[in-house]
Amino acid sequence: MRTFSSFQKRKVVTTSGRALGRCHDLRGEQTATAVRITGLCVGRGGWLAHFGVRRHERHGVIPWDAVVRIEGKRIIVRDDAAG
Amino acid sequence: MNKILGLALGILAAIGGFVDIGDLVFNTAAGATFGYQLMWVIPIGVVGIIVYSEMCGRVAAVSGKAVFDAVRERVGFKAALGALVSSEIVNLMTLACELGGVAIVLQLLSGVPYRWLIVAAAVSFAIVIWVTSFEWIERLFGYGGLCMLVFAVAAVKVGPSWGKVGHGFEPHISHNNPMLYLYFVIGLLGAAMTPYEVYFYSSGGVEEQWKPKDIGMNRANAIVGYGLGGTLSLALMMVGATVFLGHGIEPEHLGTIALGVGDTLGKFGLLLALVGILFAVGGASIDTVFAGAYNLAQFCGWEWGRYRHPAGAPRFALTWIVLLVAATLIVMTGVDPVVLTEYAVIFSVVALPLTYIPILLVANDRSYMGRYGNGRLANTLGLLYLLVILAVSLTAIPLMILTNAGQN
Amino acid sequence: MRGEFDIGLHLMDRQLLDKDGRRCGNVDDLAIEGGPGEVPEVVALLVGPGHWGRRAGWAGRLAGWIGGGGKARIDWREVDDVDSAVHLKRDATTLGLGSGDDRLRPYLERIPGARR
Repeated sequence: MRTFSSFQKRKVVTTSGRALGRCHDLRGEQTATAVRITGLCVGRGGWLAHFGVRRHERHGVIPWDAVVRIEGKRIIVRDDAAG
Repeated sequence: MNKILGLALGILAAIGGFVDIGDLVFNTAAGATFGYQLMWVIPIGVVGIIVYSEMCGRVAAVSGKAVFDAVRERVGFKAALGALVSSEIVNLMTLACELGGVAIVLQLLSGVPYRWLIVAAAVSFAIVIWVTSFEWIERLFGYGGLCMLVFAVAAVKVGPSWGKVGHGFEPHISHNNPMLYLYFVIGLLGAAMTPYEVYFYSSGGVEEQWKPKDIGMNRANAIVGYGLGGTLSLALMMVGATVFLGHGIEPEHLGTIALGVGDTLGKFGLLLALVGILFAVGGASIDTVFAGAYNLAQFCGWEWGRYRHPAGAPRFALTWIVLLVAATLIVMTGVDPVVLTEYAVIFSVVALPLTYIPILLVANDRSYMGRYGNGRLANTLGLLYLLVILAVSLTAIPLMILTNAGQN
Repeated sequence: MRGEFDIGLHLMDRQLLDKDGRRCGNVDDLAIEGGPGEVPEVVALLVGPGHWGRRAGWAGRLAGWIGGGGKARIDWREVDDVDSAVHLKRDATTLGLGSGDDRLRPYLERIPGARR
């Protein structure tokens, strides 16, 4: 089982090694029985959005489909996900 | 008519409830040391507590969340845990001071040994909280605290040189021992902006189920209550300045502070002053013990509330009992409550940003607050005070060490 | 809660209220099932001081230990609604929440005036 806290603050890196920042939140959508995770909120200064000072839309949201694997403290995503 | 009466009664209680032991100690000592020179600090502190109380009262009215709920949701678990631990330490210290202060005044009134009176005070507070409804507690201590108004009478009757008083409202730095002067500036700000007042105020708002329509009333409450309460602080400083400064007396005992009134208004004045201090500090003890229980309960998500009977919020009730016992043990060690008060106020100043930054952030958060978020005035003042708080917080400990806690 | 939302911002650390409006904990963490290549879902709320270690390292573990280390897992199907709080479909005791208050209550009730 994974937990929300295990995603928070993990580094997000592309397969070619480019650092995109840290994962500071997850995007989700409510379904009938659960909340489906649709993406990672990644970026620097994401803590400002957490305080509600800035909105997340201005930061990168990486769709979950682009997540290749999770290893150690890093989340690896496809190169084209960085936008 | 009933509404106006209710508002007036509430305001009276707020005036009586404004002054706590930190205000008593720092305002009188500042007057006794620097005369009227520090008068200007009091309005700054009072506006600060008004600005932030109004903000968290508004958050309570719009989101139904008290300070610590909001803190956990907005600054994250880790920072909230830090804020919780530091606020509980400061709260417990403050509670111990207030309890010791109550025991000192009881001793002056009765002559019974001090340690017995500490226990008697703690037990009677526990009984009062357990059996009476909170409305009555608030009124009893608020109206009793109004006896403190004799300080204002004494301050005027003694005939201060109003020119010097006026000059004291112009912000300036004293060239005679500037370090000690700054130490008092910080202490006076800390005493006026004590964090427990904000916790208590916002939780009260949630309990009384304020809604957005109550925002106006919240604003009026904060401005009038704290504003008028602040005049008592001014009176304390003036009494300190007129009675003690010329005579080389240091009001390092709570009884001495009351004697400042006895000097001008005689025995009856002295008695009123002591009774006023007793109720004001007693009321502050109860507010403080509740603030500590609110914070822990809100952080953990427990049921809480001063309007609930103890069985309705068991862990909340246990928390205030434990805090009361712990504070009793601290004062029983024989630590001087007045000295402890100085430390409590200075430590609370250090922890101030942890309380006030989250409030400012939450009050700005449109996803919480919608159209009731901070306007330009609240934000300008809020940010201004945040800078003041940060500066004060960073310099508090160095100044305390440099001035040997105000002893030089 | 409609449409896409920030899970951490809107669910984490929120107050839990049972069907009678009783406060019965905060959302301390969320259980997620599924990984890369799947469609992961938040399947449960994790509640209690036992979950604090993951949130704040040693300080969280220490605080959680002092807090008794209790843990509860509330299936997402028990969630009725999410607004500024998370509302649950059943009562706290049935869901294994608020047990600290439940255990303490009988002792407090022995003192006269506990239900004034």
